[in-house]
Amino acid sequence: MAQHGGPQQRIFSPLRTALHRFAFILLIFTAFGLMLLGKADTVLIERIRAASADLVSPVMNVISRPAASINELTDKIYNLAHLYEENERLRRENQQLLAWQQAARNLSHENVRLRELARYTNPPALHLVTSRVIADMGGAYAHSVMISAGSRDGVAKGQAVISDEGLVGRVAEAGYQASRVLLITDINSRVPVIVENSRDRAFLSGDNTNRPLLTFLTADAAVAPGDRILTSGHGGAFPPGIPIGVVSSVSENAVRVAPLFRRHQLEYLRVADYGLQGILSEKRIRESQSPVNHNDTQLSPDIPMGVGVVPENAPATSNAPSNGATP
Amino acid sequence: MKPGVWHRLDVVARGLFPAFSVFVLLLINLLPVSVPLLATASPALALMAVFYWSVNRPDLLTAVAAFLLGLLQDLLMGLPLGVSSLVLLLVQTGSASQGRFFHNKPFSVMWWGFALVAIPAFLVQWLLSSALIEAFLPIKATIISYVLTAVLFPIVAWALARAQNSLLRYV
Repeated sequence: MAQHGGPQQRIFSPLRTALHRFAFILLIFTAFGLMLLGKADTVLIERIRAASADLVSPVMNVISRPAASINELTDKIYNLAHLYEENERLRRENQQLLAWQQAARNLSHENVRLRELARYTNPPALHLVTSRVIADMGGAYAHSVMISAGSRDGVAKGQAVISDEGLVGRVAEAGYQASRVLLITDINSRVPVIVENSRDRAFLSGDNTNRPLLTFLTADAAVAPGDRILTSGHGGAFPPGIPIGVVSSVSENAVRVAPLFRRHQLEYLRVADYGLQGILSEKRIRESQSPVNHNDTQLSPDIPMGVGVVPENAPATSNAPSNGATP
Repeated sequence: MKPGVWHRLDVVARGLFPAFSVFVLLLINLLPVSVPLLATASPALALMAVFYWSVNRPDLLTAVAAFLLGLLQDLLMGLPLGVSSLVLLLVQTGSASQGRFFHNKPFSVMWWGFALVAIPAFLVQWLLSSALIEAFLPIKATIISYVLTAVLFPIVAWALARAQNSLLRYV
C-alpha cells in the first residue's frame, strides 16, 4: 500500500477521513433513532432485551458463583463479629414470634370455620419458581436484577417476584432461560398498595432511590412512620397482601417507604405465578388494541371494576363495592 | 516470508482483544456484589476501558465497536436504548482524536484526562436518560457513580496495560 505519501495516499487519505466522519455522523443518528424506537415500539425492544439476557446468562451463571462465595465469606466474618448481639436479638424475636404463632393458629382455625360457613372459594393455587440472582444491574439509572429462570421454567412477564422478606419487583422481560426483574425501587415501577392498619389505598412509585414514594394517597389518609405497606391486589397484577415495606418518613409532600428486602443481599428469589393475567400481560394489551374493542380507555373491559381505569360504558353501580361506598 | 494462516488468525484474535475486554468488564459490572453502596451506584467499568483503548489503541477499538458495546450495555442493564451507545461513541471519538496528547506522559496525566472526560459522559447519560424516562433521575447516585469511576480508573487501566503489553505488543 501507499505508505510513503504517493499519489494514492493523496487521494485516499482525505477520502478515508471523510468516510470516518460520515460513519460517525451516521452512528450518532442511529443512536438517536434507537432512542425514539425504544420509546415507540416496546414489544420489539422487549424481545431483543430478553434475547440479550439469554445470551449472557450462561456466562453470568458461572461467574456469579465465585462472586457469591466471596460475598458469603464477607458475610460470615461480619456475622462472627456480631454473634452476641444477633443472638440476643433473635432470642427476643423468638419470644415474640411464639406468641404470634399461637395467635396465628387460633385465627387460622377460626378462618377455616368461617370460610366453610361463607362458602368461600379459594384463590387459585400458587405456583412458585425459585431462582438465583445472576446479575445486578446496579447504577444510578436502573434498578433491576437478572434471574436464572425464564419461560422454560414458567416465568412470564408481569409476575410477582418475592424474597423471603416480601415483594421485590415484577418480571419485566422473560427470556428463555433468564429474566429481568424490575425492582419496586425503579423509576418505572408502580405497585397498587394499601396501608395495613388504615386500609388507605395508594401507589408505590419508585424513583431510583432506596426509598420509593407513596403516591395518589388521599388527603385525609392516616399514615405514620412504622406503618406496614402491603400489595392491594388491584389491577390484577399482584395478589393482595404481600408485604412490601414499612413507612420510613412522612413529610408535607412525600411519604417514603423502606422496602423490606435489602438489595445487596438478594440471592435467591421466587417468581410467583398466581394464575392472574395481570394488566401487564401482552395478550391483554394486544386484545385491547384490536379494532373490535371500541372503548377509549385502551384497556380491555374484562379488567375488574374499580381497579384503575373504569371503562366509560360501565354501569355506574358496578364500581361501588370496591370503593367501599355501598348503599 | 508470507505469514501463515495461523499467524494471521492469531493477529485477528489479538486485535479483537480490546473490544472483548470491554465486554468482559461489562459483565463484571453486572455481578451481584453484597456491598450496600455498589447496589445503588456502580462504577462505569466499560467507560474506563473504552477511554483506555481509544487513547492507546484507537485502531483496535473503533467507533462502531464502541457504539455496539454501548448498545449491549443498554440492552443488558435495562437502560433507555441508545444512550450508552451515544456516550461511548462520543468518548471513543473524542479520546481517539486527543490520544497523541497522552503519549509519553506520566500516568497521572491520563488519569486526570479520564476524570475530565467522564464528567460530560456522565452528564450526557444522566440528561438523556432523564429526558427519555421523563423524570429527573437522582443526581446523587450519578455523582457517587462518577467518583467511583474516577477513583477506580487506575486499577482497570493497570490491568488493561498489562494485557496490552503481553498480547498486543506486535499487533
